[in-house]
Amino acid sequence: MASMSADRKAALRRELLSIVGTGGVLSDPEELLVYESDGLTLFRALADFVVFPRSVEHVAAVVKLAAREGIPFVARGAGTGLSGGCLPAEGGLVISLMRMNRVLELDYDNQIAVVEPGLVNLHLSWAVGPRGYYYAPDPSSQQACTIGGNIANNSGGPHTLKYGVTVNHVLGLEVVMPDGEIVWLGGRTRDALGFDLAGIFVGSEGTFGIATKIVVRLMRKPQAVKTVLAVFDQVEHASAAVSSIIARGLVPAAVEMIDQLTIQAVEDAFGCGYPRDAAAALLIELDGLETGMEVQASRIVEACRSAGAREVRTAADEAERQLLWKGRKSAFGAYGRVSPAYMVMDGVIPRTKLPYVLSRVNQIVAAHGLRVGNVFHAGDGNLHPNILYDPRKPGEEARVVEAGAEIMKVCAEVGGSISGEHGIGLEKADFMPFIFSAADLTFMQQLKAAFNPRGLCNPGKVFPTKKSCGEAGPVAYRPHAIEAQGLAQRF
Amino acid sequence: MAAPLLDKLRAIVGAAHVLGGVELSPYVIDGRTPLAAVFPGSAEEVAAVVAFAAEASVPVVAWGGGTASSVGMPPPRAGVVVVLTRLRAIVEHEPGDLTVTAQAGVTLGELQTALRARGQWLSLDPPDAERATLGGVLAANASGPRRHLYGTARDSLIGVTVVTADSSLVRGGGRVVKNVAGYDLPKLFIGSYGTLGVIVEATLKLRPVPDEERLVGVRFERLKDAGAAARALVGSDLIPSAVDLLDGAAAAALGLDDAPATLVVGFDGLGEQVDWQVTQLAALVAGGGGRGVASLPPSAWSRLARASHNAFGTPAAVMTLSVLPSVVADVMEQGTAAARHRGLVTAWSAHAGVGIVTGAVRADGDRQDPATLAAVLAEWRAAARAGGGHASLTWAPLAVKEALPVWDDAGPAGRIMQRIKAQLDPRNLLNPGRFVAGI
Repeated sequence: MASMSADRKAALRRELLSIVGTGGVLSDPEELLVYESDGLTLFRALADFVVFPRSVEHVAAVVKLAAREGIPFVARGAGTGLSGGCLPAEGGLVISLMRMNRVLELDYDNQIAVVEPGLVNLHLSWAVGPRGYYYAPDPSSQQACTIGGNIANNSGGPHTLKYGVTVNHVLGLEVVMPDGEIVWLGGRTRDALGFDLAGIFVGSEGTFGIATKIVVRLMRKPQAVKTVLAVFDQVEHASAAVSSIIARGLVPAAVEMIDQLTIQAVEDAFGCGYPRDAAAALLIELDGLETGMEVQASRIVEACRSAGAREVRTAADEAERQLLWKGRKSAFGAYGRVSPAYMVMDGVIPRTKLPYVLSRVNQIVAAHGLRVGNVFHAGDGNLHPNILYDPRKPGEEARVVEAGAEIMKVCAEVGGSISGEHGIGLEKADFMPFIFSAADLTFMQQLKAAFNPRGLCNPGKVFPTKKSCGEAGPVAYRPHAIEAQGLAQRF
Repeated sequence: MAAPLLDKLRAIVGAAHVLGGVELSPYVIDGRTPLAAVFPGSAEEVAAVVAFAAEASVPVVAWGGGTASSVGMPPPRAGVVVVLTRLRAIVEHEPGDLTVTAQAGVTLGELQTALRARGQWLSLDPPDAERATLGGVLAANASGPRRHLYGTARDSLIGVTVVTADSSLVRGGGRVVKNVAGYDLPKLFIGSYGTLGVIVEATLKLRPVPDEERLVGVRFERLKDAGAAARALVGSDLIPSAVDLLDGAAAAALGLDDAPATLVVGFDGLGEQVDWQVTQLAALVAGGGGRGVASLPPSAWSRLARASHNAFGTPAAVMTLSVLPSVVADVMEQGTAAARHRGLVTAWSAHAGVGIVTGAVRADGDRQDPATLAAVLAEWRAAARAGGGHASLTWAPLAVKEALPVWDDAGPAGRIMQRIKAQLDPRNLLNPGRFVAGI
């Protein structure tokens, strides 16, 4: 939005302070800079204010103020998102939920927890771990990202193959609607009455309102876990092994693929025990009952061998298992050894199309004179090609963006999707027509209007529009603050 | 009015695929006979029917196998019933993708048979699978005992194609198992009873058929003890696929001994996993009043979801309550007492691990007083609400529907639902007046 007059800004600042109290409002440009981007630093936009409510009443009052004044607003968690979804694309207010980070209730008898949106994902599993429970959705940024942010993006993670994504674990939400009304969508019990408003709210990327309380399911920790590393001399064989595992009636908790470039970067950096000369490796995890675990593991081994694995190894103990996962989870950090910068893509394809699409990805990236490392959720068909580049070389970043768009087109062509977990946000708004017709998009816009009729709540996101970027446009790469501190990685 | 309407419809779908007059008796709801029933042969024909109905300002009522047609308020206006059963193709099943795309009118039974032939299944097991269609199961959010482990339609549905009120063909979601592009429209259509669009095609996640599956029953003297056992089971290391609780009347309907309470548990997986879990279950219930673990015939699976409903042939009313799992046995006992207090006999069953409880009232000839029935049902609803849940009638005659709202009160969320309806069906043509919040 156009810049505010100094008088109006001062008046708004006073009113915001009267709602959230001293220390709850940022308005100095230097302070606002921290909030100008999320994990996708390609896009930036400055807010007029960042506000830190501590209660649902604060959120409702801030939203009512914004509605009264016609000021756009956007909710923000830890800012680890990777699509620019929490950027104040049109200025206005950023409503940070980081001070609403309490676990409000742990009901083990009913296996649910009630939490505030600013709670860090992993902290919930820590809270319930001693009682033998955990919160299943495990985005790779789970040490930093918040459950409120997970709600906005319907986040997944490696273990969503077996346990589903965020929406499958959310029963109800207390929401501040874009007009400031506080409403419960769903609740603590199953099968919400009427339309599944909680279900449709999850994944709406902050455009339907702001979740202030979240009822999630808690899962019992599995009795046993087994982790298998399968090593392949050809990427195609690793891809084929994924479908072979699925077609044999096995549902591992996770099936992750790591390609050669990534393996070498990881081994250089951390030495996790992946063979450097392998073309690709699959990290496969089984969980469940102790009984039968050996039989299932042997079926996995057999599936990998028959697909052409040269070596299949089971982690002998917890230490080896952790080391193998460390290789997977630190892959993004390891790219720093082989490239000054990279951009992570997020697309989904039917699992059987993996061999074809991976070869197309390699062709596309090579045609743009770039390199790519692949480390991704193969079991779900959720690709994460990481295009390596040097932002100091003129024109290289533009080629990355072009290659990314072509990769998204390939995902769409094979019947896939342009995002498996990072969301559309600003980044992919213009790619939506790759997979949705004008009628599909109109229908979604109408749905949005039912929640957010004035469009003040997180404007400029999800839908293609020429002016959607506003002041937020692609700029040169630089690490996000929390990335620089080593608190989060790009997955 | 009727004759030109029928002619127009015949022109769209062919004369052989339009029913009128006395042929409409299967489609009568709460005494309301529709104007016509049409059987479109393609999504495009569905769209053409909806466009015509909009032009004529008559409601459109999507219809699958009719198994959930009694759910909802009495229809305020007669409309055109759009029967989807000619759209029954399995469009794509690629086992390596563990997904299936099928048209809405395929019956669940037919779909499962085709999937099982290739070692997979759709993890939805609502009652009446031989008649219930895929689209109907989604629109009614129907579920069965295996939802304990595998969830409901919201955990399986990944893509949906619908004909909207403005007769557009709209696709939501996609064909891949993980997808956050755009709003999650599949969630919107689940349980929406045809009020937002006519589902014509769906894509769902599948699961491999387990090596073995077993259903067992444990008898208890008291519901309370069976309820406690269910909670201990759910909090243990075991991974049951079903945890159902039946009272004596519902157990009898299933052909079991009419012990005051029966805990019915399903297990699946490798043979050794099933064996081990059954053994563990026996140990777990032994100290809590459980009398042995008996294997049940596989045929009992499909009757579990309607065990209470079927206890009395045609019941006087059936209500489904959504409550916290910890209060399931209490709610069943309270509900039984509230009915007995007014001289009514009931049957109860529950998917105890997830807190979905169904109570049925026995019909008592012609002399049943709707006011008494409504008073009992209102007490049941109050019990559900007291525990943070809700309750709605899933089956009732018109007289009871007139005495007690079919649906529970959705509160402020109901207004959001009304706004969604107003946005997506501004002329209120899609199955109007039968749903929650007056939608």
